[in-house]
Amino acid sequence: MFLINCPYCGERDQSEFSAGGEAHIVRPKQPTELSDDQWAEYLFMRKNIKGVQFERWNHAHGCRKWFNMVRDTSNDKIHAVYKIGEKPPIN
Amino acid sequence: MSKDLRIINNRFIDQTTRISFKFDGKTLYGFKGDTLASALLANNIHLVGRSFKYHRPRGIMACGSEEPNAIVQVGNDASMTEPNTRATEIELYEGLEASSQNCWPSVNFDIGAINNFFSPLIPAAFYYKTFMWPSNFWKLYEYFIRKSAGLGKSPTEPDKDIYDHRYLHCDVLVVGGGISGIIAAKIAAKNNLNTLLIDDKNILGGTTLFQENECFKINNSYSNEWLKKEIETLKSLENLTIKTRTSLAAYHSYNYLLARENITDHLDINEKKDKIRQRLWKIRAKKVIIATGSMERPLIFNNNDRPGIMLSSSIKKYIDYYGVKCGQKISLFTNNDSAYETAISLDNSGVNVNSVVDIRDKTNSSIVKQAEKLGIKIHWKSTIVNTNGYKKINSIEIMKLSDDGAAVVGKKIKEQCDCLGISGGWTPRVHLFTQSGGKLNFRDEDNVFLPGKSELDQISIGSCNGDFELDEIIKNSVNSTNKFLKVNNNDYENLEIISSKEIHKKNIWLLPSDKPLGKTKPFLDFQNDSTANDVKLALREGYKSIEHVKRYTTTGMATDQGKLSNMHALGIIAETAGVKMGQLGTTTFRPPYTPLTFGTIVGRNVGEFFDITRKTPMHEWHIKNKAVFENVGQWKRAWYYPVDNENMHEAVQRESKAARDSAGILDASTLGKIDIQGSDASEFLNRVYTNAWSKLEIGKCRYGLMLNEDGMVYDDGVTTRLSENHYLMTTTTGGAANVLSKLEDYLQTEWPELDVYLTSVTDHYGTVSVCGPNSKKILSKVIPDLDLSDKEFPHMSFKNALIDNIKCRVMRISFTGEHSYEINIQSSYAKSVWEKCYEAGKEFNITPYGTETMHLLRAEKGFIIVGQDTDGTMTPVDLQMDWIISKKKYDFVGKRSLYRSDTIREDRKQLVGLLTDDPKEVLEEGAQIVTEKNKQPIEMLGHVTSSYFSPNLNKSIALAIVKNGKKMKGKKLFVPMENKTINVTITDTVFLDKENKRLNA
Amino acid sequence: MLNFNTPIIDSKEYSEIKFSKVEPIFKINLRGKNRDFITKIGKELSIITPVDPNTSSSNEKLNLLWLSPDEWFLYSNDKVDIKDANTLEDNLFNEISKVKLGSVTNVSDHWIMINLKGTKIFELLSAGCPFNFNNFKNSKGAVTQTLLNHIDVIIHNKNIYDLNLFVRRSFSSHLWSWMNDSVRFI
Repeated sequence: MFLINCPYCGERDQSEFSAGGEAHIVRPKQPTELSDDQWAEYLFMRKNIKGVQFERWNHAHGCRKWFNMVRDTSNDKIHAVYKIGEKPPIN
Repeated sequence: MSKDLRIINNRFIDQTTRISFKFDGKTLYGFKGDTLASALLANNIHLVGRSFKYHRPRGIMACGSEEPNAIVQVGNDASMTEPNTRATEIELYEGLEASSQNCWPSVNFDIGAINNFFSPLIPAAFYYKTFMWPSNFWKLYEYFIRKSAGLGKSPTEPDKDIYDHRYLHCDVLVVGGGISGIIAAKIAAKNNLNTLLIDDKNILGGTTLFQENECFKINNSYSNEWLKKEIETLKSLENLTIKTRTSLAAYHSYNYLLARENITDHLDINEKKDKIRQRLWKIRAKKVIIATGSMERPLIFNNNDRPGIMLSSSIKKYIDYYGVKCGQKISLFTNNDSAYETAISLDNSGVNVNSVVDIRDKTNSSIVKQAEKLGIKIHWKSTIVNTNGYKKINSIEIMKLSDDGAAVVGKKIKEQCDCLGISGGWTPRVHLFTQSGGKLNFRDEDNVFLPGKSELDQISIGSCNGDFELDEIIKNSVNSTNKFLKVNNNDYENLEIISSKEIHKKNIWLLPSDKPLGKTKPFLDFQNDSTANDVKLALREGYKSIEHVKRYTTTGMATDQGKLSNMHALGIIAETAGVKMGQLGTTTFRPPYTPLTFGTIVGRNVGEFFDITRKTPMHEWHIKNKAVFENVGQWKRAWYYPVDNENMHEAVQRESKAARDSAGILDASTLGKIDIQGSDASEFLNRVYTNAWSKLEIGKCRYGLMLNEDGMVYDDGVTTRLSENHYLMTTTTGGAANVLSKLEDYLQTEWPELDVYLTSVTDHYGTVSVCGPNSKKILSKVIPDLDLSDKEFPHMSFKNALIDNIKCRVMRISFTGEHSYEINIQSSYAKSVWEKCYEAGKEFNITPYGTETMHLLRAEKGFIIVGQDTDGTMTPVDLQMDWIISKKKYDFVGKRSLYRSDTIREDRKQLVGLLTDDPKEVLEEGAQIVTEKNKQPIEMLGHVTSSYFSPNLNKSIALAIVKNGKKMKGKKLFVPMENKTINVTITDTVFLDKENKRLNA
Repeated sequence: MLNFNTPIIDSKEYSEIKFSKVEPIFKINLRGKNRDFITKIGKELSIITPVDPNTSSSNEKLNLLWLSPDEWFLYSNDKVDIKDANTLEDNLFNEISKVKLGSVTNVSDHWIMINLKGTKIFELLSAGCPFNFNNFKNSKGAVTQTLLNHIDVIIHNKNIYDLNLFVRRSFSSHLWSWMNDSVRFI
């Protein structure tokens, strides 16, 4: 069980959150202009790294806000959390 | 109780309170404060079980959680019996009944013991290798193996005991109440940190509590006296919570730890009643201090497993703590100084110590000198090459070691004894540290793995961190704790500590014998019965990884998780393979540290609390009217309402007919309801639904289909425009939470520029749905002021209304194809409105119907149910719902995916209707559909998704998804069942009232 | 007249713990993002809109709870006459939603309020709630949204050892029986 620092509510138990997959994948503004391959890239392709990964999380049982997290999948260390729209504090 | 084996010692146990208990059916006596193990030893019972494979007699070996042999079954009640408990951890109570495990028919006569004579034929992995063929014989083998292997009996009835869970948050958690833990807890609590100290024993103090020896003194007191005073001072600390009988089971990331508190296990049977038996503490600690101490290692030599061979430190605890002599003539065998403490304790208590066999050349530390002064005989540079005695050790054979320690030389000396204490040095308990993800370092000098790097806010102190001398333990515990907590406590400055120093160290993982290795039995894992020979065989057979050797030989895989055996296994592997132990690594220590009962894991999540139940505002009415309920997600929904002993089919047929013939009433409160406000609400709906919303008039309702971005149908429902910028969306019952979360996701992350706010109102409204040709008449009685004319209040529109001055919203929408109304009213009044409708409908034979009838009625109309007729692989086109996809909208969620190469394939599975040739034959949902009758194998074209007998059409109807189904209308297909094949024809999905005349009937 | 029904009818008193249900009180969900919205609700309700996370503000009649940066929860202390409730809701709706400042949604029956009093209430909560109440306990007016026995709840620290707990109506009878079960073991 992680202890997650919600950027709005502060430190909460992981059971209050749900994970939402890879972060910083932006829905194309003009999907109709895209080829099948380009659309498939947006729709299906996700990274699954052993190491530092950028993820989306939702404080589902708290403030219901989505936010981003930088997490090392090899040891579950959370390096940072930041609000949607903000730049990742770590590269 | 054998009087000869007890000495007067009332310090820790109460020798004035006698307790009776039963072991293997025999009534025995012990004292308050005994463990089952100490009481058995006091009764001169060493033999408590049989080994797993060879069924060799095995005796009590240790005094704590590392015990490999004394594994017993407690209780014989079918619901309360508990297998695999360690006799060394069971506190004696009046009425305790325990029995040996792993022996059949009895511990003294064991059929499996014949395996011992065949043991050369039962090498490592014998079971894997032998019983795998012929494969169909396994059933036969299994019966006998299980019976003779006998890892205890599971209870056959539900556990009557009560368990619960509790969350706890603290600044500092100290695990282990020995001398280090006590020091750390005191420092933490005195510095205003909210501190929790736990220990698995019933009393704090660890082994120092009974260390009364001239060689270990603090400020001129014996170490135990000094510690006793320290423990006293803990009681006055306000920030400190102490939990004894609480063992740490698991250490997870972010300092989340699980600890099991034993609340009633030590109480007399009649005191246990109505109390929580065990509580699982879910602890979140800011900082964790591990002070779990160390375990004594055994020595690995020929026949080292006989009853009466025990860990030397355990013999010390039995005499010093419990006042129990483990034997009358005790020999000791060691490679380090600690056995001399045992020898001195035994001598002080008047027990005859034959000799100490020490593999070291000679040492003159103060503790050894003291033993010599007492006249205790020492065999230096010697080893035990064999032991004798079948059910109990009766003698040992001693020989001198060669200079390199690899062989034995000289004359064999035989020494009579009734107990042998062994000590192979100490292993820090690093299990919790590694569970938490910490990495270990290896210290070559005394062959121990020590805590290294950790990502968490934690430290290890005391002997679990490799400090074994009293002065080091105190000094380092104080310094580390101060540094870790960033405090400056000076309570322990200027302590004068006397501690015997171990000067010489020597280690031989596998001690030599005068016999060749193959003829000896040097046991490594006592519980799983693997020997050093098995490990060597595994290496010869090519296994290299420690994890593989472990699984192949099962070393370390028993219920004790190899607490005693792992280090020697690693040592022997490293030695044989010629690698350094530090490079070999260890096997993974997984939680729980000691076994947990299922009851503790589950807590109160049993019975009615197993899963959450949600109830609608009309729930009590349904119960009163004998509804049978169905679980829909967490909701309890009325499924059907049987009348006069009707079965489900009869009830559903009656309800379905009544709803179309006159009037039906349904509780639709479970539908998800989302209140949508904001100036961009229409635009938002345009983006999340496939159809267009901008032109929906105020006061009108529209059915919407929601897709995932992959183009597959996600949810559906009717949304109503309440005012310019105000909508009420309904979702499916099961999809409510997910839809809201998905919509919030889009608003927060993709379209933050939209001015839209969502609020769930699912529970705020109860929904009464009245349908059927007489629904209008009924409604006009319930809400007389409302103009129900088709012109004023047409299908797919809504009106605000008042019922007895309570505001409500009435929608004229239909999921049955009948003329119908849905009244949404504040939940507190919903039951009353329901009753009012029911009363008003009585003259029209209004019939309450449940979810089954609802499903049947909509299937007659070919309306889909998301999740039943769709499964996440169906596009709207697949569902033949092309009409709902807006051609004009530039974009909506899932749009682009509708013309991917895969989604435009014509031969996708598509929703169709199915009619059986025999109208009485009802298909099974899930049944497969094929093109030919007698061909095998044959391609499955699809399957039946919904199937009912329609009382309104008087025939069987079904919906199905079939490959290329759209083009197959009229085609004959087959549904093969177990005993027959059913002929079917593909039809349109709408079976009843294709012209929708009934909506306005 | 329509009958008023509630899933929880009784109050329960145990040593050092008392549960009671207060009904019908008035509850409204407010959402909005900009400063005007915050000023407007403050003005309409004569209450300071709490903008700090996990806080609330109260006056004699009303409590306004922070739920998220764009969401607040309003509830009345006492039973409110249905007519007054309608007026208050309509006023807010007209002043906020109608003028596109945010949203106003009546959730009076979406949530059931249970009052918990007594020195053992936090022990009861710790039987099923992962939230750390160590600081919350002593801060009057603190608010948290969390899980209790796997069920979403809003907890308002009304006073020392005096909490108002909000649970969705459909879950309320289940939570109520869980609370009455758990209280036995405190």
